[in-house]
Formats: sequence, C-alpha cells, structure tokens
Amino acid sequence: MYICLCLGVTTITVQHAIDAGARSTKQVAEACGAGSVCGRCGHTIRTMIEAASADPPASKPARLQRRWGRS
Amino acid sequence: MSLVLAADYRVPDFDHWWAALTDDLPRLPSLGAHHIVVYRSLEDASRVFVTIGFRERPPVDALLRSPVMFAWFDSAGVDELPPMFAGEVVEKFDLGSPARPAGPAAAAETVVVAAIVPVGELDRLRARVHTAADRIAASGVRRFWIYRALDDAAEVMILQEIATERQAEQWIRHPDAAAGFMAEAGVGAYPPLFVGRLVQTLEVPGT
Repeated sequence: MYICLCLGVTTITVQHAIDAGARSTKQVAEACGAGSVCGRCGHTIRTMIEAASADPPASKPARLQRRWGRS
Repeated sequence: MSLVLAADYRVPDFDHWWAALTDDLPRLPSLGAHHIVVYRSLEDASRVFVTIGFRERPPVDALLRSPVMFAWFDSAGVDELPPMFAGEVVEKFDLGSPARPAGPAAAAETVVVAAIVPVGELDRLRARVHTAADRIAASGVRRFWIYRALDDAAEVMILQEIATERQAEQWIRHPDAAAGFMAEAGVGAYPPLFVGRLVQTLEVPGT
C-alpha cells in the first residue's frame, strides 16, 4: 500500500525505515520522506511504529503485529 | 492495463459525503477514472471501502499526489489520509451456482468481505482457491476476486461476495484453509477485515 500519497512512499519503505531504527514520525520522514510534506499520513506511520515497538522483530516480524490489539 | 485504487476509511458524516461525491465525480475524468464502487460497513456506519477503477494505468505516484485525490478526501472531511492500495485484478472466481437466487432481493442480502493483506506467494494462494473452489462456494461465497498490488509482490486485495450476512459471519469465524489470509487483516498498516454491503457502483461521467 501507499502510505504517503504526497511522495508515493509505500508500506515496504516505511517498514524498512522502522526496522532500521526510526521510532518517531520525524525519524521516518528523515529516513524515507514519508509524512514530510502534508503530514496527513502520520497516524498510519505511528501505528506502524507502535506495532514494531509492541513486539520486537526477534519474536515476530513487525509487519505482522495487529493494529487493533488482536494477538 | 487497468488499475484499481482502494482505500478503507471513515467519513465523519456519511450522508454529507455521499452528497459531496456527486460534486467530485466530474473531476475524476481528469485522472482517467472510469468507475467508483462504494461499500459501507455493517459494523461501523462511518466506515467505507471505496475502489476506483481506471481503464488505463496512469503513473500511480502522480495519481496519488494529484490535487483531485486530495480534494476527494477533503470533501469527505477526512483529515488523516488512509493507506491506498494500488493494483490490478489477477483472478476472478465466480462461484455462484445456477440455482442461486438472483435479483434485487438477493443482491441486497449480499455481503462483501474485503481484505488487503500480505500473502507471501500469490500463485500459491491462487492454487489453493482453485482447489477449494467447491468448498468455498458451499460456504456461500459467490465471488472471489484477487487483486495484486503494484508496489509489493506479496500484497493482495481480495473481495469476496457472500450470499448472506449469516454466511459471511460463519465464513469469517470458520474460514476454509484457502481463506486463511483473512487472519492477517489488521496487521501493521493494513486495515482490519471489512465487512459491508455495496452502496452503489458509480460510472464516472464523460468516460
């Protein structure tokens, strides 16, 4: 999916930024540009960051974390 | 080659949004859009699932950042932009039996279950669905359409039409192994499973 419509940044790219250590929307924007223009995709980026933080990749891939609290 | 954009989001006021759609439609030919399909959630009246079909495939990046696309969300009162699926249909399973009821009443009963999920190997999913077609049909699934994302080889959008709400509920609770992908909905940026009904298919005027 395309997360940042302004720059055409995809889920894969944002996830790579998070996996590389980005832990805020600002850091994600610095890493890949997502959210750096209009910022209206910030909630989705935060969701992805929270998912990655909730369950480290060592136990489960970050992209497989539930967005709405399902286990 | 065609293109389908899809998004799952909430509109603050559905009736206002629906009225505003009429105003938005004349702008869409400039993007090359051909039709719009609108579904509304059964569980959350503010949640909609919208697909926009294009006959040709314009550059997706340019399409998404076009002022028309932003105006689409602005007129709906949507501040937080949802992730957008961009892809093409790769499989259309029509699983309906000749004996199935037809007509407006049956159409009104039909439930659509939409999922945008990562599936790993698309060919494997297609093979599983082919193999399980009879079982899937017996569960009330009439149509099973698979769309492949353009930006991620492992990502798909799957639209399932199910005869009744009761059968849809049963299908979601106890899916066939071939529909195990539904358990992946709501993962990371991916939206949770959408369960709703068709509101309307709108042809974009002038296309």
